Amino acid sequence: MKDKLFKKIITIPVIVYALVLILLPLIYIFILSFLKSDSYGGVINVFNLGNYLKIFDMVYIKVFVQSFLIALVTTLICILIAYPFCLFISQKKKKTQTLLMALVILPFLTNSLIRTYGWIVLLRKEGVINTILLNLNIIDNPLSLMYNNLGIIIGMVYTLLPFMILPLYSSISKIDNRLIEASKDLGAGSMATFFKVIVPSTVTGLFNGSLMVFIPCIGYFFIADLLGGGKLMLLGNLIKNQFLTARNWPFGAAISITLLIITFVLVKLYKKTGGKMDDLGGF
Amino acid sequence: MKKIIICFLLLLGITGCGKNQEDTLNVLNWSSYIPDSIIEDFEEETGIIVNYSTYSSNEELLAKISSAKEGTYDLIFPSDYMIELMINRDLLEPLDKSKLVNINNLKKEYLNLDYDKNNTYSLPFLATTTVIAVNRDHIKDNITSYNDLLNPNYKNNIVLLDDQRIVIGMANQALGYSMNTTNDLELKKAEEFLLDLKKNVKAYDSDSPKTLLITNEVDIGVMWNAEAALALRENPNIEIIFPKENGALSIDNYAIVKGAKHKDNAYKFIDYILRPEVMKQIIEEYPYINVNEETEKLLSSEYLANKAANIPDYIINQAEMVQNIGSNIDKYDKLWALIK
Repeated sequence: MKDKLFKKIITIPVIVYALVLILLPLIYIFILSFLKSDSYGGVINVFNLGNYLKIFDMVYIKVFVQSFLIALVTTLICILIAYPFCLFISQKKKKTQTLLMALVILPFLTNSLIRTYGWIVLLRKEGVINTILLNLNIIDNPLSLMYNNLGIIIGMVYTLLPFMILPLYSSISKIDNRLIEASKDLGAGSMATFFKVIVPSTVTGLFNGSLMVFIPCIGYFFIADLLGGGKLMLLGNLIKNQFLTARNWPFGAAISITLLIITFVLVKLYKKTGGKMDDLGGF
Repeated sequence: MKKIIICFLLLLGITGCGKNQEDTLNVLNWSSYIPDSIIEDFEEETGIIVNYSTYSSNEELLAKISSAKEGTYDLIFPSDYMIELMINRDLLEPLDKSKLVNINNLKKEYLNLDYDKNNTYSLPFLATTTVIAVNRDHIKDNITSYNDLLNPNYKNNIVLLDDQRIVIGMANQALGYSMNTTNDLELKKAEEFLLDLKKNVKAYDSDSPKTLLITNEVDIGVMWNAEAALALRENPNIEIIFPKENGALSIDNYAIVKGAKHKDNAYKFIDYILRPEVMKQIIEEYPYINVNEETEKLLSSEYLANKAANIPDYIINQAEMVQNIGSNIDKYDKLWALIK
């Protein structure tokens, strides 16, 4: 009994935190999304659905499509890099595994904005990579590595890769080695073992990682601005513009809510594949 | 990195000196606008501790002022059209000019402008205008107008500001319209112009367009004059061109926030910056257009010789200013989303 009370007491700060800093702002955004902007940064208290209808304008649908494409490509590349990496790590000794995973988390110690600036030094026309390649006579003209969609993808993949590796690693390292042995004993080749045994047992981790990469990717406007030269508008940029330049808070709120609904649908899908909510925030 | 260190020091400053409310001043200013040494000198001379924070657009400033508790900020530096908007929203305190000994140093042509007719709420701090900067090491063509930037030879070779009102306004001007047009047909033409121009645009960057020019990432840039002046310091082969379409002019102003708790300190700070020799230091570090008559006499030959810093009066007089266009801002926002 005492134990239960103690548990309740120590969860109070978390509950208060969630209520005040997450739920209240969300309710505010939700209500805001049905109001009207006075175009001076203020809001008129008139209920209307105009903000949601406005999203279906071709211009804004284009922004949605652009964002989802960038997010999709980023997610796929992250999977392609993270999967072999995690398989490789899981074969190592326990100590090496811990060390390698610590190295994956290490970049988090530096602010992602600063790391993005670091990429500019590497990728630009007279940057480190182009200078080396030019001096080695591998290329004749500098490559366009940034100020285009390639730059955005490089930045996104780099920033979000750990979010793919962590859940995937926890999923892959849980595979029972006996299953693989059994599969081989029963005559399956390494390809068949990989696709029929390993992949199915890591679907949850795969989906979890994809979710953790896909959703932030839509919102990371600073990467699109810095490495893409501000030429591509992502949903994050659009929302930011509504709250700042266009001074249309209700429309910005409506886009945010739409994005939230899409996220909910994806999380529901995740649960359908057998994923646990704990794993999403669980590392 | 510098900003982070400054923020950190500010934090220390706030916690360390919280008890002495009387002797502080909360300034909210554009980033890279007043050198740190000026703030330190002011603190030393007056004993007032300045809590200095920054913003990077007028809209960010508006969002900060309208969402913060009254009295959070004392002194701000909004641009022309934002002054007008803030007056309308009753966010500013009328200025008591009797507290400003050095007020007569200001150039008359920057006073009593449309956005604040009698300077009831604001006084000019600096001005800036858009110029075209061209790297003559690589580009030899004759460029006189925004229309020249459409040349297909400049593919992926131009940097523009990441600012919808300025860039769309530039297209409007190139087509012979007002920078602030809200006419749908004219904006449609501007859209075509910008989509055409986009093939030549390497980046939209408001933070530091000069960097792209200096690092040879691009050879042409349309940017605020101070950025161009700094690029010119790095590379003397950059030519500064005043587009024949007149360009954009922006004037930043001192203003005191309604309900400010340290008004007297704010006046002291304004008066300090109005001193000719203080303004000289600011303007030589960040070479914007000087609006102080007395400072004019002190400016170094380096500043005066820099074509992007020392902008001729006729250019300033003919440049257009961004105006409030009410709910028509939606048209600009949509156009901006479309061309990106």
